[in-house]
Amino acid sequence: MTVLRGSAAPPATGVGRRKTVAPHGRPPVSPARGVGRGLVQRLGPVLWVAPAAVVILFVFGYSIFQLVFTSFRYQGNWVGFENFALVVSDPLFQTAILHNTLLLLAVPVLVFLALGVAILLFECRRSVVVYRAILFLPYIIPIPVIGVVFGQLLQLNGAFNGALDGLGIGALTQDWLGNPQLALITMGGVIVWKEVGFGIVLFLARMLSLPEDVYEAAKLDGVGFFRMHWSMTLPQVRPLINFYLISEAIVMVSWVFNYVFVMTNGQGGPGNATVVSELYIYNTAFQSKAPELASAAALLLFVATLVLIIGFFRTQKAGGGTLGD
Amino acid sequence: MKIKRSIPAMLAFGAVLATAACGSTTPTSSAPVSTRYPTENVKLTLWWWGEQEVPGAQQWLTDTIAAYKIAHPNVTIDAVLQTTDGLIPGFEAAAAAKQGPDIQYFWGGIYSQQPYWSRSITPVSDLIPADELKHYTNAQLEDSNGDKTLTAPWYVNPQFPVLARTDVLSASGLTVPKTWDDLLKACDVLSAQGITTLAGGVKDGWFGGWLYSMLGAQSVTSKDDVVAAVLGKQSFTDPLHAGWWTRLQETRDHKCWNNDINSLELYQAQQLWVDGKAAMTITAGTDAPNFVAKAGADRVEVTTMPTWGTGPYAGKMGTTSQTVGVTSWTKYPQVAADFIMFMHTPDRLAAWFTTTGSLPADDRFDMSAVSDPVKKSLFTYAAQGAPYLENFIPSALDSRAVFTGVQLVLQGSKTAAQAASDMQAEADRERRTDRSLIGNFTSWSAK
Repeated sequence: MTVLRGSAAPPATGVGRRKTVAPHGRPPVSPARGVGRGLVQRLGPVLWVAPAAVVILFVFGYSIFQLVFTSFRYQGNWVGFENFALVVSDPLFQTAILHNTLLLLAVPVLVFLALGVAILLFECRRSVVVYRAILFLPYIIPIPVIGVVFGQLLQLNGAFNGALDGLGIGALTQDWLGNPQLALITMGGVIVWKEVGFGIVLFLARMLSLPEDVYEAAKLDGVGFFRMHWSMTLPQVRPLINFYLISEAIVMVSWVFNYVFVMTNGQGGPGNATVVSELYIYNTAFQSKAPELASAAALLLFVATLVLIIGFFRTQKAGGGTLGD
Repeated sequence: MKIKRSIPAMLAFGAVLATAACGSTTPTSSAPVSTRYPTENVKLTLWWWGEQEVPGAQQWLTDTIAAYKIAHPNVTIDAVLQTTDGLIPGFEAAAAAKQGPDIQYFWGGIYSQQPYWSRSITPVSDLIPADELKHYTNAQLEDSNGDKTLTAPWYVNPQFPVLARTDVLSASGLTVPKTWDDLLKACDVLSAQGITTLAGGVKDGWFGGWLYSMLGAQSVTSKDDVVAAVLGKQSFTDPLHAGWWTRLQETRDHKCWNNDINSLELYQAQQLWVDGKAAMTITAGTDAPNFVAKAGADRVEVTTMPTWGTGPYAGKMGTTSQTVGVTSWTKYPQVAADFIMFMHTPDRLAAWFTTTGSLPADDRFDMSAVSDPVKKSLFTYAAQGAPYLENFIPSALDSRAVFTGVQLVLQGSKTAAQAASDMQAEADRERRTDRSLIGNFTSWSAK
């Protein structure tokens, strides 16, 4: 820690600590005033965060309450788990969950790609800032823009197939978004394209903060490329890999609505080929006009995401470190 | 970062519910309505759609609001154009919060019934005299429930004309097909030459509903058949209701459509026809004159879907009126209703036709003003039109069975029989999950 020259040691301000001798040479206060000040010191942080906490509690807490409340009712009447039973038995909901699960398969691909590219950039070093900016660019482009652009590019007679034709590999052309067998894979590819930049920047930032001399020493000792990164880089980046893994898993479970909505005009088509749980909730609420069923589905999705978040924190705790360690 | 973002994403719907819970008590349709025209400053919001299918509607609306302002200086009306995909969800969110528009645009049939069932609108018959309402085209056919008229027709949409390019057809020795066999023969001839017979796009789903109405109407005996199937008294797998899926599959088997129909939106596909790359296409009736003008009136014939059925609606064009309704939460229902009646004054009816070229939904419109043969033909079709079937099934059945089924049949992933079976299964599911459906549809069909 850097101590500013000439400054006194910082006063102890820990919550719960009782002091009758004030710092900075002030005269001691009476016991009664000391108790009052201690109370203020204890309550101070609470008071500071109270306004924000109230707003958060109202916005999130009340919404969660309403969500739970609505999911157990139908037109104002208590129906127990009936809405949940209807949702779980709905083939479209099952399809949506299956699609979310299939999209989870893209997470290891994302991690592998991001890690691989980050290591390559770490090795090259040259123009790393430029490459990093280029690779990060898709991540900051708004999803609706990506959806519209890829929706056009990937049409059967669109630019992407045109390029394949131009390259003499026209046999590979497909109706990427119009073929139900391919649409979800295409969607996953677009999501990977956008999300991978986040992982690259995350991993690269950590790698660039590692001491260079350790790598130089390893190279002098004749350690090979794969051994070096397997034994040295990966352990250092592991907490971030965990973070990226979980956050991307959450993306695939509950954050792909925008992609699907924009690229399929809110249909999740062709057929039900790209319906995901969020789109199911949205359409059930606003198209089928069944807010109770939508609430039940939303609650199930909320619980699934909560499980992932808890899993993330447990993994972090088991790893014995926090992000950036 | 994303962990924090994901929770609000999931809770967005919860927030809507929360807002709804904070809203005022839902007024019932029989709530007493003040007949006093206010003298204080009044601001109304109108959420509408229509410029997409009736170019010029925005200009007409701006002019109409300005004209109304002159007559009623204390009234300001703010018109907000909605997107196609956002029209219904936007209103649903507004209805949940009991705030937003005072006047709302609704498509006809089921789209005007649903807000009534959810008590989001005040029937216009509570606000507009019967002597006035009786002139509004299709109000009785689509937008009534019992003795109530729910929303007020604005303009008529002939649903949907087939536009045929005679130049493209005649170059291949063909005439405009009138029967189903003629159509399939044209498809065979044209596809062999690499020409698209019918240009369409189903990526956004809506066109699937059009096809259902145009093909499906040919075998039913009345709209009541469709309502009976929704109620489970008939089945969507019966030949009466399933025949159209077979016809749809035939169009695929005979390569009638553009090969990228599944990756194009409808409006993108229609451009193929304008460019002369397709012999025929289907457009909104209100937009048809513009398409005809783009391709050249001397090269276009406006017709109906070639006939395959023997029902009373075969060979007819569907007709529906796009409507406006008064929301149940507006503070000024009488002003809203007065503005709707103002939309039907002779001057505004004439201006609607002049500005948009489409037919206002009012039998007091002077048809002698129509000299263009294309428009005359369309208006005649609309006047003798058949009920537009898509407006008589639940919107969820439409999107979950019709939109998706059409996409999959045209793509080749499903057969006609599978699509019909899926539609029946979806109707069964709707009756189970929408626990008000039976009651609502029964009351609708009881009139």
